[in-house]
Order: sequence, then C-alpha cells, then structure tokens
Amino acid sequence: MKESEIVSLVSRKLAPYILLFGLYLISYGHLSPGGGFQGGVVLASGIILLYLSRGIASTGKVFPQEKLVVAEIWMFFLLILMGSGGLITGGYFLENFLPLGKAGEVPSAGFIFFLNIIIGLKVGAGITLISFYLLR
Amino acid sequence: MTELILILLILLGILALQFKDLLNAVICLAVFSLLSSLLFYYLHAPDVAIAEAAVGAGVATVLFVVIIGKTRRREE
Repeated sequence: MKESEIVSLVSRKLAPYILLFGLYLISYGHLSPGGGFQGGVVLASGIILLYLSRGIASTGKVFPQEKLVVAEIWMFFLLILMGSGGLITGGYFLENFLPLGKAGEVPSAGFIFFLNIIIGLKVGAGITLISFYLLR
Repeated sequence: MTELILILLILLGILALQFKDLLNAVICLAVFSLLSSLLFYYLHAPDVAIAEAAVGAGVATVLFVVIIGKTRRREE
C-alpha cells in the first residue's frame, strides 16, 4: 500500500504529545483526574498510533517488544514488592511507608505516586503487547 | 442534557446492532463510547470519562477495525 504523506506527518508530530499527555496523567494522578490505568492506556494508544502509521518493524526499534514483555512482568513484581513494604514496616498490605508531603504538590500522598508510575508502565506495556500480537 | 445523551446512546446501540456493514457498526460503537464519556464527565466522574475515552474510543476501535480487516467486512 502506498504511504500517505498526511498520515505519516501527522502521526509523527502527534505521537510524542500523546505520550507526554500519558505521562502527565500518570504523574498527576493523585492530584487531578487520571491515574495509572488511564495514563497507561493513553501511552499505549500513542504507541499503537506509531504501529499503524510507521509500521511495526520501525516502531520496534524505539519500543522493543522483548523489553516490553520484561517491563510488564517486572512491574507486577515491583507492585507486589511495594505492597509488601507496608507489611515489613509493621502495617498491613499496601500501607504507606513514605513521608507524606504537603497536599496539592506533586511529591505528596506518600507512595501513591510510585504505584501510579508502576501501574501506568504495566498497563501501557500490556495493551501495547496485545495490539502488537494482533497486528503482527 | 443527561436524557438527550441517554436517548442518543440507545439509538446508537440499536444502529450498531442493525448495520450489516461491520465497519459502520464499529464507528457507531466509537461514537457510543465518546458520548458515554461525555455523559460520565457531565455526571462528575472525570476519571471514568478519561478511561472510557481512551479505551472505548481509542484502543478498542483500532482493534475492531484491524480484526475486520483480517476477516470479513459484511455480515450475512
């Protein structure tokens, strides 16, 4: 199929902003609407846009599928590990053990920030892998 | 406002069931997701609205269109 100039240009310019918006949703998840799952899905939709417009092989050089598999598995392990951190410091599962910052700033709400990042990367890698194995 | 969106959602659902061309049905479902995300935002649930817009109108539509491309487009 012939490559369309408009689709190529628009997707190339648009994809970094979609990825940036996904990272914004993840990192401000505890202050504004958004969070790990939503940000992860937006990240994955940016990568799917690249898959559809630039082809799977050239996108795989930037986001290698083997590393996505590894990231998806390790993020789940890290989530369990951070949840058990509450048990180790003498509380219950998924209890906060980091200092609470001032409310309204980004480094606040204890380790919710890190949990959001972990969940966001896991969901983004997972949905990207689903679409990769479907589009292949 | 809420009643209008709900009536539109019902109409779009019936349309998506009635279309014999599956690509039209998928586009109907995408508009359904977009409208329901608007409804969630109007009902003060912006979290669910973002998730619905990203999953329903974005990723699921792409997957459906790709699956239609790999199988048949018309329903018997």
